[in-house]
Amino acid sequence: MTTQNLVLGQADPPRQARPRKKGRSTPYLLVIPACGILILALGYPLVWQFITSMQRFGLSQQFGQPPEFVWFDNYVTLFTDPYMWTVVARSLAFCLVTAAVTMAIGTLMALLMNAVHTAVRITLQISMLLAWAMPVVAAMTVWNWLIDWRRGVLNSVLTGIGLDFQNHNWLADPLSFFVVAMVIVVWMSVPFVAFSIYAGLTQVSTEVLEAAQLDGATLSQRLRFIIVPIIRPVLAIILLLQVIWDLRVFTQIRLLQDVGSIASETNLLGTYIYQLGVGSSDFAMASAVSIFVLVLTVALSWFYVRSMLKEDES
Amino acid sequence: MTRKIVSLTALAAASALVLAGCSSAADDGADASSDNSDKSITLWLAGGDTPDELRDYLKKEFTAETGATLNIQQQDWGDLVTKLTTSLPDANNTPDVAELGNTQSSTFTNVGAFLDVSDLYEELGGSKLLQSFVDAGKVGEKNYALPYYFGSRAVFTRADVWAAAGVEQPTTLDEFNAGVAAVNAADPLGIPDFSGFYLGGQDWRNGISWIFANDGDLATVKDGTWTSTLASENTLKGLAQLQELYKSASNAPNDAKDSNQYIYLNDSDEIKDAEGAVTSNTSLSAATIMAPTWAHWSIGTLGADADGKATRTWDDTKNAVFALPGNDGKPAPVFAGGSNIGISATSKNPELAKSLLKIIYSGEYQTMLGQNGLGPANSDYVDSLGDDQFAEALIASASNSKLTPAAPGWATVEGSLVMEEFFSKIEGATDLKALAKEYDAKLTPMLNGE
Repeated sequence: MTTQNLVLGQADPPRQARPRKKGRSTPYLLVIPACGILILALGYPLVWQFITSMQRFGLSQQFGQPPEFVWFDNYVTLFTDPYMWTVVARSLAFCLVTAAVTMAIGTLMALLMNAVHTAVRITLQISMLLAWAMPVVAAMTVWNWLIDWRRGVLNSVLTGIGLDFQNHNWLADPLSFFVVAMVIVVWMSVPFVAFSIYAGLTQVSTEVLEAAQLDGATLSQRLRFIIVPIIRPVLAIILLLQVIWDLRVFTQIRLLQDVGSIASETNLLGTYIYQLGVGSSDFAMASAVSIFVLVLTVALSWFYVRSMLKEDES
Repeated sequence: MTRKIVSLTALAAASALVLAGCSSAADDGADASSDNSDKSITLWLAGGDTPDELRDYLKKEFTAETGATLNIQQQDWGDLVTKLTTSLPDANNTPDVAELGNTQSSTFTNVGAFLDVSDLYEELGGSKLLQSFVDAGKVGEKNYALPYYFGSRAVFTRADVWAAAGVEQPTTLDEFNAGVAAVNAADPLGIPDFSGFYLGGQDWRNGISWIFANDGDLATVKDGTWTSTLASENTLKGLAQLQELYKSASNAPNDAKDSNQYIYLNDSDEIKDAEGAVTSNTSLSAATIMAPTWAHWSIGTLGADADGKATRTWDDTKNAVFALPGNDGKPAPVFAGGSNIGISATSKNPELAKSLLKIIYSGEYQTMLGQNGLGPANSDYVDSLGDDQFAEALIASASNSKLTPAAPGWATVEGSLVMEEFFSKIEGATDLKALAKEYDAKLTPMLNGE
């Protein structure tokens, strides 16, 4: 695991570089199989997608008509369509807020796991593992029952404590739809974040923390000046993964849309691509949006990539 | 150091993976050889509408006739279009014969997905086959997909609630519109969020009946070019009536779709305590719904059959069923449900597939369809539906039913959920005509497959 290595790399004292005996090519040879598989498995669809995004490719092309090459027409259509920008803005907002909330709750859970008694911690870990291991579709079915407008547990509890939520439909209004979606996505992603950060926290030596405590450092100071710097690499990679995952969230949104809400008001990039490609058989347009999402993902990952390269140079 | 490069690559790859999602088509082991006994063909049926009894009959009959084997695979309605899109063009993975929704037919026949069966048309029933479905599977003068079975939408009511509200069963569309509003206003049982007529905000499949009933249309075709006509005068009349129904007769959520409306007609739902006693009696919340006629199996008093499976018994003192009345003495033209069936153009065994079609259109199989409440494609066998009130409502409402436009892009329209979106905005629209025009502009290019 990258995270594991990064953590170890941080904690290990810097070693003396030994003079190399073997040729400099060995590491590259070792990388070839991995790269080969990647190019085979990912290169083909990516190239296909890129080519398709410059054609007119609909249902007739799927059934054997030759596609017409139109260069960047699809992209022009796409970026002059205000709806596309609405979806992009919506997706970015959803992704950043959800990732931030996931990180915050995940970090707090990790600190909690670090602080409590072993028995309590194992209970915590098991329950989080269950939430994480639950298949998305099965989990979504349960969530859909919980928020059902007529018979949902949520409305019944809220009505029970004296609020008027009889037959309140949580999915009709886009904003409350996304709050529901965010709660579900966060619930599913927190365990991974918590476990990873907890793993990072085990690398923080208790001696250092105790010494700081003796010097009179408060809890928040210890957190800021000792713990966070040591687990920063873990935080960085986890945050990046969360951002990428939340940017392309699909299943949860799609299954919520099946239950309620007006699809055009609640589409995110993932569901929009699906609706264009699978729904409308406009494969070229769907490919163009996909390529755009790839660029967006790379742009969002850029800060992390740059810091890695910097580390490499130092 | 190289570890970092690898993880960089892996990261780049991971983000590429995001985009590489591709569904693979189901594989069937059809292999061709010279002798029929080791040949097999595959039939795709959509959803659970075709009962097991009929499936077994087809398999047995097919083997008896040809010596080959028939594999039947059931596909979900939800991803049927996707599966057809990926499998039909591929000779190695295509089903030989496939069922698809009547409104999806034109899209697939127009791109050449199905085999030309014009030479069989007369033998399979010819002009006795349900013509609106035949047209949906036609391109020019050639037949590609043929009708498999038809269903239709009827009105189901809580007759007791209508009576308690003091409203008579309607005999014209105007009476119906006024009646459901009156029942809604009366709410004789004092139920919160009660609907005189439960019509979901996105439920266009039931809603378009009002457009058809006012002689409106969704789209017209001229010289092969389709034009969306939501803003035409008659269509707007129907939309205005719908808006009134949404405002004064229905409390269904604005985002509710066409699914399981019948649960709102029942006194109690399935919520039970540990002893199996019903704990919730709150579910009756509509006096009227529209649904396909087979919904009657889900309406009535809850009981259990011999195996302890929950069943519902229709109760004439509580429920009524009738075709939505039109204003001209005939039933209103409702949206016809049902399926078409066709042979894949890439099928490796077209002759065997044709043998299967002959069995499907045989009198015996058509009769079996009718006995199971599915409208037979051939009008000679419609009698086999029986003569109970459900069959009557089905036959009456189907007699005048209409289909969605047979445009090349209709499946696209359904896939993009644009009709759902349009209907959800009807209730809140201050200017229906402007709204209709806005959606005409969206629909016209889609209809023509642009």
